[in-house]
Amino acid sequence: MIRLAFRNLFQNKARLVISVGGVALALLLILSLDAVFTGVERQITAYIEYSGADIWVSQVDVFNMHMASSSLPDTVARKVKYVPGVASVSPILYLTNNVVAGDERNLAYIIGLPENAEFGGPWSISSGRSLPAEGEAILNRNIAEKSGIALGDEVEILGKEFKVTGFSEGTASLVNSVAFISMDDFEEMRGSYDTVSFLLVKVSDGESPEVVADHIQSQVRDVTAQTRNNFAAQERRVVKDMSTDLITIMNLIGFLIGLAVMALTVYTSTLSRRQEYGMLKALGARNTDLYLTVLAQAILSVILGFLFGLALTLLLTVVVPIFGSNLVLEVSRASLLKVGSVSLVIAAVSAMLPIRQIAGLDPAMVFRGR
Amino acid sequence: MSLARRNLFQDKTRLGLSIGGVALAIMLILVLKGFLAGMNRQITSYLDHSPGSIIVAQEDVVNLLGATSLLPEGIDQKAETIRGVDEVIPILSQFVILDLHGKKQPAYMVGYEPEQGGGPWRLIAGREPRSKKEMVFDRVLAERHGLNLGDQVEVMGRDFTIVGLSSGTTSWMTSFFFVRKQDAEDLLLAPGATSFLLLTTSDGADLDKILRRLNDFSGVNALTKKEMASNDLKLFAKVFSAPLKLMVGIAFLVGTMIVGLIIYTATIERQREYGVIKAIGAKNRFLYQVVLTQALFASIAGSSLGILLANGAAQWIMSARPQFLIVFEPVDSGQALLAGLGMALLASIFPTRVMAGLAPAEVFRK
Repeated sequence: MIRLAFRNLFQNKARLVISVGGVALALLLILSLDAVFTGVERQITAYIEYSGADIWVSQVDVFNMHMASSSLPDTVARKVKYVPGVASVSPILYLTNNVVAGDERNLAYIIGLPENAEFGGPWSISSGRSLPAEGEAILNRNIAEKSGIALGDEVEILGKEFKVTGFSEGTASLVNSVAFISMDDFEEMRGSYDTVSFLLVKVSDGESPEVVADHIQSQVRDVTAQTRNNFAAQERRVVKDMSTDLITIMNLIGFLIGLAVMALTVYTSTLSRRQEYGMLKALGARNTDLYLTVLAQAILSVILGFLFGLALTLLLTVVVPIFGSNLVLEVSRASLLKVGSVSLVIAAVSAMLPIRQIAGLDPAMVFRGR
Repeated sequence: MSLARRNLFQDKTRLGLSIGGVALAIMLILVLKGFLAGMNRQITSYLDHSPGSIIVAQEDVVNLLGATSLLPEGIDQKAETIRGVDEVIPILSQFVILDLHGKKQPAYMVGYEPEQGGGPWRLIAGREPRSKKEMVFDRVLAERHGLNLGDQVEVMGRDFTIVGLSSGTTSWMTSFFFVRKQDAEDLLLAPGATSFLLLTTSDGADLDKILRRLNDFSGVNALTKKEMASNDLKLFAKVFSAPLKLMVGIAFLVGTMIVGLIIYTATIERQREYGVIKAIGAKNRFLYQVVLTQALFASIAGSSLGILLANGAAQWIMSARPQFLIVFEPVDSGQALLAGLGMALLASIFPTRVMAGLAPAEVFRK
């Protein structure tokens, strides 16, 4: 019966292409939306992941960086430095604002770095300097290229002119990019000299970041200390919690579309094979055998559709960034598992539609030439 | 025409499935567009409803949402001295992430002086904050988390009591909540800080002149609220347009595939009949018309059903998840029908090629 299903499926290539393509596109809807959000999660945690810090210290009860504000008195840095297991502490200043070049405005995390910052700076430089001196800014290369900014050009941040002295890689997301300036400039622009936003902590060799974070939390007042992994996980949760409802709705629509395409394919193909099924019945095949053939056919189509949909999604992950978009798509294992399960449900439900046709098939029909 | 109709209606299940498939694809396109339109309305809700026509931000800040603004000290007194300025309302605002029942919820905190304005524009229960650590919370967000008047919400480590519930202050991404400006300053460890000034002007005042005077002050950017609303829309359009276009493109292709499948199957099944028609002298053009009519019918019926489904789905989504606002513009239905037309034309290409290659003699050989 599996062989029969296989032959049924491949006998009409055009129908196969359309049905597999239709299911693939419906699954692509689910896969690509998941991939967009996974990509956003990856992008917005890039700065944290590549900061080089083992622990992030923020204002008490501030657990995030994106869409959040943290303010710590600069005296906290000294207190953190004395906590056992802490090797070094580097403060950063942070806010979200525009980088202005002519008429172009690009939203960016503005990071103020101390002189000779050990960490918290750009992790991959394509050209120019790797740390900003006073009056200098390091921008994302992609964003700069799109805005026609070259090394040595001037940009405006918070009303002050900066000379672009470096381009970084991997620092742009769908929402914004990261721009680095010196801490002195940052303080001057904000008119505030005694606070920092976050402290980036490196632990001594052999020390566990979790244990040292606990020490900081218990020994320093009014701070939140999180390991890099925990801090990044908190950022991912913001995206996840924000997008859950939206993804559920889109998944439901994608599922219904996939179901409609598959049901249509299985139904039309069963209908066109009515004579053959009648012949099989006349030769003694039971209804169950025929149902299994239809089910096998649906499962095969859906598997092909899933593989094709996955291939298309992977293709999009490569093609979309080529077109200069900061949209990054990333296929996660959880998404594959979900779409795989959805595909099987689609196959099972769509195979139920022709049951009535098969059950009502008259074996004698074939001899009457109908 | 009647041949096309008979071909289509001969198998009602198949026709139903294909119309349903197209309808779902069109529904998806419409819901996505409606979702974006609704989001745009929600994004500018604060600017649309807050008092005044001019907003003063920090230099180079052109957005309310998305950028942090901190005004130079004393700018509010300077603004008050400008002729034509009636009222200067300071607010201190900042995105914060609330942790509500283990879920991360970005919210936009507006610190304001209740006696001056800039707070919630539609209170549906309770009152505005009068004393320390009181807040007006968004009604939809409160409902989603089972919160009511008198309940406590933790903001950056401090417990605030809900004393009022506001309406029209929610969106899919974020909700607004309102506290006294002094409380916002304490939370952000920024005593005396102001993010924006909302300026009301006297009747007949020259807005351009006021804007020029304001922009002469160092460290500020003054613009009309309309301009800022448009900047916020542009900012969010930049973020959401790429994924949205991707989804709409896929939905269009799915619809085309569905119409293609139905028309192709109907054509192949009737190959012999078409051969006969050709053999008795019918021109290809006539057969193309038959195919196109079928495609048009399936896609237009699907699109029309899709428009109805989209309206139903929007109502369902908004009642089940009130944070989503789905708005349909009158032009959307027309665009949906055009999309259906596009699907029909594309879906007809392959079957018409089959038809063109059909040998009239084929029928006599069988």
